[in-house]
Amino acid sequence: MKILVPVKRVCDPDNANKVKVSADGATVTSDGLEWKPNPFDEYAVEAALRLNENAPKNEKLGETLVCSLGPAEVAQTLRQALAMGADRGILIDATDGQLDTTVVARALKALVDKEKPDLVLMGKQTVDGDSNAVGQTLAEMLGWPMATFAMTVSTNDGGKTLTVGREVDTGVLTLKVTLPAVVTVDLRIVAPAGIKNGATPADHKYNEGARYASLKGIMQAKKKAIDQLKLSELGIDTATSSAYPKFELPPARTGNCVFVETVDDLLGKLRTQAKAI
Amino acid sequence: MSKNPISASLSMLNRFSGSPLVHRLGLFKPAQAVAHTAVREGFKAGAAVARQFKAVQKLVRPERFAQTTRASDLFDLNVSEEQQMIRDMAQRFAREVIRPAAIKADAACAAPEGFDAQLSELGLAQLAVPETLGGTATEASVVTGVLVAEDLAYGDLGLALAALAPIGVANALVRWGSADQQARYLPAFTETTPPKASVAITEPRPLFDPNEMRTRATIDGDGFLLKGEKSLVPLAENADFLLVAASLVGKGPRMFIVERDTPGMKLVADPALGARAASLGRVVFDDVRLPSHAILGEGVDVCDFGELVDLSRIALCALSVGTAQAVLDYTITYCNDRQAFGEPISHRQAVAFMIANIGIEVESMRLLTWRAAARAQQGLPFHREAYLARVLCAEKGMEIGTNGVQLLGGHGFIKDHPVERWYRDLMAVSVMEGGLLL
Repeated sequence: MKILVPVKRVCDPDNANKVKVSADGATVTSDGLEWKPNPFDEYAVEAALRLNENAPKNEKLGETLVCSLGPAEVAQTLRQALAMGADRGILIDATDGQLDTTVVARALKALVDKEKPDLVLMGKQTVDGDSNAVGQTLAEMLGWPMATFAMTVSTNDGGKTLTVGREVDTGVLTLKVTLPAVVTVDLRIVAPAGIKNGATPADHKYNEGARYASLKGIMQAKKKAIDQLKLSELGIDTATSSAYPKFELPPARTGNCVFVETVDDLLGKLRTQAKAI
Repeated sequence: MSKNPISASLSMLNRFSGSPLVHRLGLFKPAQAVAHTAVREGFKAGAAVARQFKAVQKLVRPERFAQTTRASDLFDLNVSEEQQMIRDMAQRFAREVIRPAAIKADAACAAPEGFDAQLSELGLAQLAVPETLGGTATEASVVTGVLVAEDLAYGDLGLALAALAPIGVANALVRWGSADQQARYLPAFTETTPPKASVAITEPRPLFDPNEMRTRATIDGDGFLLKGEKSLVPLAENADFLLVAASLVGKGPRMFIVERDTPGMKLVADPALGARAASLGRVVFDDVRLPSHAILGEGVDVCDFGELVDLSRIALCALSVGTAQAVLDYTITYCNDRQAFGEPISHRQAVAFMIANIGIEVESMRLLTWRAAARAQQGLPFHREAYLARVLCAEKGMEIGTNGVQLLGGHGFIKDHPVERWYRDLMAVSVMEGGLLL
């Protein structure tokens, strides 16, 4: 199966408290931040690798492509996915200011038209923008079936369809999608038995979480290709459809607590003190 | 995706990293350490049959790495893209596997069950073994070795030592081993279960000096006779083979390869104050007869003992830098959170200045260590630099360990916080010689 995994770099989620808003509130400054692959995208890479391998035999069953949009440094993020085992990278040169969910979805559609993957597997959302929109928009633009928040994926009918377990508020919703399709993954996808591809024995237990880039993988990643494209070369409409008028940090928490005895008391305080209702 | 890559949704970020789901799912949960006895029993069973080393291929001449050349001797502090990826991997392993396993490993004096399997997934030995022998290394990797040692020791010094000791032996074999020795031992390091091995230099006596060893080798027929005792040897009890320093009568210090089950060699667990997770032990050589090919190197390629000691000291420095950094990061968080007299204790200058000093010292330790490693990597003399790094790291490492405990007050003295372990580990690494090398 040929799988395309879009990956985005985000500021290190563990150092989120270093994010600063510029004085005029127009932008968020990214100076001095460390970049990490978006965790959900990392899980998508892991899921793609699991779908495309016979784990005990260490055999590859298909091609895993990773792509990203951003400045040249994003190659580092792609290189990490290649070190985990992905086969080829595609970097679309673009600045953050040029991108919003619609433009990204259009760019990905152009890539899909070019590369013709059987499956686009992606994180359900990034942990910086949190829009949770690109996967859905892309599926709509392609006219492909879509399954979001996947926690389990198994292949059937000789790789023509997927059964996807989706995590929803009330439980697990099981969907069957015909390929080609767009699937976005949740964090549970990297549980030991999240992926069944018919080749890796069903009782094979993976480690929890995304795999480590082994030293051998890191050395091999140097030799793998990263194709360079420009946003303007994709032949897409590059007009953004959303804008951020102002940023502000959430108010600092005081750490003070107010104790209440009764529900009425609570409602009263919420009304008069917190002005929340 | 947003117009700007970092939208203001900080709350979501925090929610993700602190998500109870992550914990409820048990995601990233490290393998649990099992009881000490179970580990020991398992090892005994495994060690019943000594590992057999056999040359798979014949080497015409030993593999040596070409010298890394740089345009100038200027000290370059930027890590390469590849080194950064290796660091990311090592840091993640330290955070997710090593740190959570540290308490039990310290108590059990052994790495937890499953640790070796997780470690071999990283394939760290690839860094040491040349391409012709199954590895991926094309040049000596002293600087990368320092970075990895530092990052793993940030998780736990003892487990980092246990993880890296065998790679130290591989490094020594590449640097000095004869063609036969390389062909015999090196390919095993890239297998799924690499051999356990370490470098034995320290001897159990006061004011030990590696240049005046009491462990002696005498020429005996066409081989050697080894007599003496080594202490603080990582992985001793379970070692498949050891690289032992001994004074060859009439010649000076030499290294000898001694395989497990060689008659006359006794391996005993001998836990110390610190670095306990490295399964430190004592090795006694009671007239151990060694074949002529047991001496590391051959002919002109005889091992440069001074350089070996220096490379080992750089490695020990890197370990102390990693653990000292752990102390710094931990005390900053603790002292900002800990309230006394209505404000965080970091508002007191006695506390704040001490932490600032730790910050300055850790960085100095790191720079001296990197400097020595960079010169070693480039093939320049590095004895002086290694010595300076060693003195600073030993002295300041112990001071930082002590201050870490002091900064936590009563909490520093109990086992609820890791600083008491770091204090012990930093002390251990300051008195050790050998164990591993880069």
